[in-house]
Amino acid sequence: MLPSYFEFYNPVKIVSGHKALDNLPYELSQMGVARPLIVTDKGVVGAGLIQIVQEAFGSSGMTIGAIYDDVPPDSSVDVVNAIADVYRANGCDGLVAVGGGSPIDTAKGVNIVVSHDKGELKDYMGADRLTGPLKPLVVVPTTAGTGSEVTLVAVIADTRKNVKMAFVSRHLLPDLALIDPRMTLTMPAKITAATGMDALSHAMEAYTCLQKNPLSDAHATAAISLISRYLPLAVEDRKNATARLALANASCMAGAAFSNSMVGMVHALGHATGAVCHIPHGVAMGIFLPHGLAYNLPERAEIIGELLLPLRGAEIYAATPPKSRPERLLESLSSLQKALESKAGLPMRLKDAGAREDQLGEIALKAINDGALMMNPREMDIEDAKAVLKNAF
Amino acid sequence: MKKVYEPLKPGRKWFKELVAHVVFFVLGRAFQSAAKLDAGIRREVAEWEEGFTLAMCILPKGPSMLLKKVDGRIRYAGWAKEDADLIIRFKNIESAFLVLTPQMGSARAFAENRLSLVGDVARSMSFVRCLDRLLAYLYPAFICRPLVKRMPPVLRPIRRRLYIYTLGIPFGL
Ligand SMILES: [Fe+2]
Repeated sequence: MLPSYFEFYNPVKIVSGHKALDNLPYELSQMGVARPLIVTDKGVVGAGLIQIVQEAFGSSGMTIGAIYDDVPPDSSVDVVNAIADVYRANGCDGLVAVGGGSPIDTAKGVNIVVSHDKGELKDYMGADRLTGPLKPLVVVPTTAGTGSEVTLVAVIADTRKNVKMAFVSRHLLPDLALIDPRMTLTMPAKITAATGMDALSHAMEAYTCLQKNPLSDAHATAAISLISRYLPLAVEDRKNATARLALANASCMAGAAFSNSMVGMVHALGHATGAVCHIPHGVAMGIFLPHGLAYNLPERAEIIGELLLPLRGAEIYAATPPKSRPERLLESLSSLQKALESKAGLPMRLKDAGAREDQLGEIALKAINDGALMMNPREMDIEDAKAVLKNAF
Repeated sequence: MKKVYEPLKPGRKWFKELVAHVVFFVLGRAFQSAAKLDAGIRREVAEWEEGFTLAMCILPKGPSMLLKKVDGRIRYAGWAKEDADLIIRFKNIESAFLVLTPQMGSARAFAENRLSLVGDVARSMSFVRCLDRLLAYLYPAFICRPLVKRMPPVLRPIRRRLYIYTLGIPFGL
């Protein structure tokens, strides 16, 4: 399906492969960075991953401005300001985020603050409030799911006012994404499964929602083939570096897809569930993905059927008559869910993930006000949302 | 003879600008009355904070409209002269013309990147739901249906359409 009009923008340089990190100093010097500030969290340090990053700087002649390793799981304004102070105090001239969603979003927030002489973070909240380029930002993902290394958003909490601030701007796109399978090798099976389902949701929603276009489709389908082949492998054999590299690449491509063709109701429900019951994003994605596709079926049957090709391969696709493809796809997804549940303990239902039935109304209300719903092909009002949630409970 | 190269000043699209002015006025006044009549819009607006302002405008300095919540009710406040809490901006006059005349719905306009949003996304979701309901009052079903994902279930559309066109828009009631 060719849209009558679309836009696609992904200026992020991607450096991907075994030992790719060793090129970090060279890439930084190409961007004019001499004293990078590394932003990360305790989990990354504990897994010994910062060691790998630090070693990459050996014999490079470069000075690491500082390593800030205290980013909390939910990034906040206070943390962003504290890191900005470290950046200035050490005369840094660029940022390297190492971690999952939180250190990456935090580094994006820090970049807003250190790139402006006046104003505070909240002045730049919302869409398109940034008008000029920021400082160089390199992202080294340590999970394979969020795709934040190629997205233009950052979500940062104002813990005093208890609200989440979203920042959307093309200037938040990192300059470089460095994908090195060593960085995801230590991820436990359950997190591997959850983040893999997040990436799969990015790809499938980008492919089925209203902004789909030929370029995002290409990224999405490539990501889906890799995930379907390598996610079960990575869950079974955590040290499989090929599977790790494949998933990290898939997550990056899915990120580029959904950055340009937005996600839909699966994410709207997932964001809301995260806010109300604190269910991790990837876990929520694993639960909601088949439900979201099933809900959109009346509007998107043919497009959803097409996903059987990247998910199950050419032979199964060709052997399935077009009319049965959407159904076959949903069956395949639920077998994937079951496999991940038995092998990695990834819950398939909301109640197993810790949600309570009396929270469903609140989740529904939050979900219908989530921006992700705008690009969902089928309208979902509060009653529809409640019905989907009940099914997933 | 040597050809002379000099700056060009493109003309203005007067007709489309005029139409946009008129439609923004109509939309603003109609929104104000529909917000009184329709329970669905009332429920949405109840969630907006007092003093909340919403602007729709055409970049860079084209026609615009401002809605403001005063004493719990939505008022049409003319042109958007000031900064608003939520600003929905058309990137060019042609896109605005398509949406305002109304040949294209808001979801498609967003999908085609014709609009840029400044401010709180949750509020804009609420506003779009209101706008869909408003369309159901302003236009007959055959015009409205292609503009929305699903026809909003509104009560007494014909009577209320009559009210909006005869009293709401001309007199701001
Ligand atoms: Fe996601």
